[in-house]
Amino acid sequence: MSPIIRFDHVSVIVHEKTILSDISFTLFLGEKAVLSGKSGSGKSSILKTLLGLHSIKQGTVYFQEQPLTPVSVQAIRSCTAYIGQEPMLGAESVREALLLPFQFKTHRNHRPTEAQLIDVLQRLHLPADILRQESNRISGGEKQRIALARGLLLGKKLYLLDEITSALDAESKQVVFDVFTDPHLTVLSVAHDPEWLERCGIVFELEAGRLTQVKGNGNT
Amino acid sequence: METLDIELPRMALLYGLCLLPWIMLRLIGLRLSRDIGISILRMSIQLALVGIYLKMLFDLNHPWLNGLWILVMLLVADLSILRRAGLKARYFVLATFMAIASSILFSTAYLVILVIQPTHFYDARYIVPLAGMILGNCLQGNVIALERFYSTLRKNENEYATFLMLGATRWEAVRPYFRDAVKAALNPTIAGMATMGLVSLPGMMTGQILGGSEPWLAVKYQIAIMICIFTSTTIACIINLKLSLNIAFNTFDVLRDEVIDKP
Repeated sequence: MSPIIRFDHVSVIVHEKTILSDISFTLFLGEKAVLSGKSGSGKSSILKTLLGLHSIKQGTVYFQEQPLTPVSVQAIRSCTAYIGQEPMLGAESVREALLLPFQFKTHRNHRPTEAQLIDVLQRLHLPADILRQESNRISGGEKQRIALARGLLLGKKLYLLDEITSALDAESKQVVFDVFTDPHLTVLSVAHDPEWLERCGIVFELEAGRLTQVKGNGNT
Repeated sequence: METLDIELPRMALLYGLCLLPWIMLRLIGLRLSRDIGISILRMSIQLALVGIYLKMLFDLNHPWLNGLWILVMLLVADLSILRRAGLKARYFVLATFMAIASSILFSTAYLVILVIQPTHFYDARYIVPLAGMILGNCLQGNVIALERFYSTLRKNENEYATFLMLGATRWEAVRPYFRDAVKAALNPTIAGMATMGLVSLPGMMTGQILGGSEPWLAVKYQIAIMICIFTSTTIACIINLKLSLNIAFNTFDVLRDEVIDKP
């Protein structure tokens, strides 16, 4: 089986500061990995580099064994859901936020039905009437679950999760864990939460932009 | 009907009026003497030069010379737009020039050739002041459009990235900021048209009336100039922003840091 993500000696410089240096790792389909390390160690930068948001100084990033280029980045972005601490919903109401990507040309013909919307909300333990609420009135944890719901509706296979557990209560956290037990979903996350670290099969330790240790929990 | 001349001694009397605000500003402790002095001096010298230029332009009334004058105005406006919008001229000078040149030339030509129809279309008395007025207003609009677009985009970097992640193309992802910037740029002109004549008498109309024109004629020219300002501002802002999109982003659709002039 070929890896879904491969970093090959990747270095990234932003504003003349080296933020990633000589990073190499691979991630296979269905694996759940977490990047761990102090703040500023380059965890989020790895996620952003994969999405083509930072320019690579040296080395190559591969996605499904295709090198990251201006053309292939479209494919990466369309397969990937990025969810941050306080995700941007980008629309007035929750319903509009969930349907936002379906305004774009690539997804225009895959608009979900009402039943699919309700179904995905239920899967994430969110009430159906949240659809009517304003996006800026819901909590951080709810926002993250809506962003996750949006990824699921788009059929995304790769989830880049940046500190999502920090805003979640115990119940929501469990819901999110349950979603990612799906062996078809690959996760590359950033977290400090011990429970999350324990659940992830692979732990990448980062220090000052370098990958210092790779630990396998062996439960993927 | 002749406009009355202001002779030199009475010009001196006019400058004397500035003493009143100058004294009042000193009394409240605002020390602006230097700024005021420089501003009045600059205004006087610049306008005197324009007076000499225009006199020469009108006397010669040569098509190429008139064209050259418009070109100079366009270039100055181009650089001034980019400086005030906080963008590096090195990258955008051509795009902004193309946007304002095409919109100004189009709307001035439309007005002069099709509507006013003077004996010679290049008549300096028409094209120089009309193109200048349209350009002056168009300049304001373009500064607002570019400044607003790039500052909102930088402020909403995460939202923009979210749109990209959700499958938006660069154009789809910037569209909300694009519309917002065009709206902000056009708002002053649209509001200006709506209150025209109610709040104040527009400058060009006042000028024409002082110059001896019939009020009706002055009104028609004022309407003409407002419609041209509105048209050319809209065209220039949209073309300018559209062209800038090809310059300001890298091939991964990320806004390039180096194109923005940091304060």
